[in-house]
Amino acid sequence: MKRILFFLIISIAVLAYLSACKKSEDVIKIGVAGPMTGPEAKMGIDFRSGVAVAVDEWNARGGVLGKKVGIVTGDDVSDPKQAVSVARKLVNSGVAAVVGHFDSNCSIPASDIYDAAAIPMITPATTNPRLTSQGYKGVFRVCGTDDQQGRIAAEFAVKSLKLKKVAVLHNKTTYGQGLADEFKNNLGNSVQVVYYGAITQGEKDFKPVLTAIRELSPELIYFGGIYNEAGLLVKQARELSMKQPFMSGDGTIDPKFIEIAGAEAAEGTYLTFQPDPNNIPSAKEFISKYRSKYGELGSYSIYAYEAMNILLSAIKAAGTTNGKAIIEKLHSMEFSGALGSIKFMDKGDVQVSPFVVWITKDGRFVEYWKP
Amino acid sequence: MFFQQVINGLTLGCVYAIIALGYTMVYGILGLINFAHGEIYMLGAYLSIIFLGLFTVAGITSYSIVLSIFLSLLLAVIFCSAFGYTMEKTAYKPLRGSSRLSPLISAIGVSIFLQNFVMKTQGATDKVFPYKFHFASIDFLGVSLTSLQMLIICSSFLLMAGLYLFTKFSKTGRAMRATSQDALMASLVGINVDRVISVTFIIGAGLAAVAGMMIASYYGVINYYIGYIAGIKAFTAAVLGGIGSIPGAMIGGLALGLVESLGSAYISAEYKDAYAFGILIIILMIKPSGLLGRSSDQKV
Repeated sequence: MKRILFFLIISIAVLAYLSACKKSEDVIKIGVAGPMTGPEAKMGIDFRSGVAVAVDEWNARGGVLGKKVGIVTGDDVSDPKQAVSVARKLVNSGVAAVVGHFDSNCSIPASDIYDAAAIPMITPATTNPRLTSQGYKGVFRVCGTDDQQGRIAAEFAVKSLKLKKVAVLHNKTTYGQGLADEFKNNLGNSVQVVYYGAITQGEKDFKPVLTAIRELSPELIYFGGIYNEAGLLVKQARELSMKQPFMSGDGTIDPKFIEIAGAEAAEGTYLTFQPDPNNIPSAKEFISKYRSKYGELGSYSIYAYEAMNILLSAIKAAGTTNGKAIIEKLHSMEFSGALGSIKFMDKGDVQVSPFVVWITKDGRFVEYWKP
Repeated sequence: MFFQQVINGLTLGCVYAIIALGYTMVYGILGLINFAHGEIYMLGAYLSIIFLGLFTVAGITSYSIVLSIFLSLLLAVIFCSAFGYTMEKTAYKPLRGSSRLSPLISAIGVSIFLQNFVMKTQGATDKVFPYKFHFASIDFLGVSLTSLQMLIICSSFLLMAGLYLFTKFSKTGRAMRATSQDALMASLVGINVDRVISVTFIIGAGLAAVAGMMIASYYGVINYYIGYIAGIKAFTAAVLGGIGSIPGAMIGGLALGLVESLGSAYISAEYKDAYAFGILIIILMIKPSGLLGRSSDQKV
């Protein structure tokens, strides 16, 4: 009796295992990694919605290589340690490629894991230059880089605003500090940096540091960081009767920034970002699809969508889910989609990344200045 | 700039002080560090936003914004007090006879539970306070003081004074002090110790709710993990002033706020948290019982 029971259990286990294997082979899994919870959860969720639109489109067309496409979500909570464990989890679950991560200090350590497993990764949002200068073949990005972004911001401050005195703040992260440094280093000799300092991410009270900056009366305050702190900084500066405009990068361009700061306080804040997708004719279809399902577009939704499309086109062209073959295709192909035509350079950066300066006006972001 | 920094620090210090009172009162009576206290403050912040949202839907906000803010504060305080009472009865009272570590671990458990519960039900993203106070700030000799800052400072001092008078002169306050000196003796002279403990938790949680509402309206944005760092800072304030001492918590909170603000202004803002904990280490080395703490032999 015992023996029969034993065999029964074994055979059930084997059957269950086999059926599980079979099921997973019908689907090509793509990992989507980013902050799905935590302080930057909105960014991660906007990513995933963008990717989901792409997946729906491909599956409606019958999938890739005769299989359906499925998403495996990884939540890195904007934490580098978590990002590494999420990367391992995605690799172990057998994803063919990854769209992610969001934060620079998550994307960089996670890229080690993907590279070791020869899985291509395309980040829709990490702008830190270091990510693609590690010598990894399978790391790509569809957004611009911080050195381009910081350069444009500095050019704008010098040429268009003709500033003499600026204050520079960052949030001590790889992204924030990298951006702030690029801005500072590109200002040239005509501009004096009267204050250079950092704040802590997650902190809520910035009045002490703002009061110190107020004494030095700079004409502009540049902040390398994310919308949460940017919103609070602007709000508290106005409460301290500081009238200087703020300037920040792509991490701040999110409706939540205006919500936190209040439209009145956020008015006139300059932000460097990619051009408005609403002005790109090829993005119209995506935008209307996204809106009908997930509401207003997040800053990076379209980049996540595009990253997913590029990955799936490369898989289709390679005819296999083998990582090396996909990476080869990613390097050699030219893709055209919602963002226009995209071709990766050797390092994995996009060939043209036109950053422009946006401004906050009446509670909305509008394109303002082109270099 | 100095006076501006004092105002900045004072506002923050008042909030720390109010939260620290909850820590110190519970410690004074039970010898327990209630690690879930910061989470009650977070709960208070969320509840005030939720109630304010409900009033907006009900149309009371358009009728009178002051009334609806006051009502939502009142409801948040009542809700949090009830929660403090329930928490004591379910998580701490059954463990009262056991080793000192058990209720501490239970408190950490309550804290983790509350954080995750709020994250699950309210979402992980930041919540924005629905009403923006117009920054009608008074500029006086280069010092900007918003009406909200004034409100926070004044109401904190009123609350602290009220609590001080309550413990000093009311019957329940006297019973609280007696229990904190010696719970057994207090029960022998006819004090209902269980009731005193419940009152302590109710007052502490109510104060935390007020602090939560203050922060929600002052910064205008909250999330589910604000209770963690605020709890640690307030705990530091309580230890700084001498844990168990009510005036100590007030002074500790104000001192902490000032140290953070002046430190980040004159040294560097990068190490803001380090100043708070640095000063704690220094005070504990010089005077281990804290600024106003009683040494243990005085207690008996």
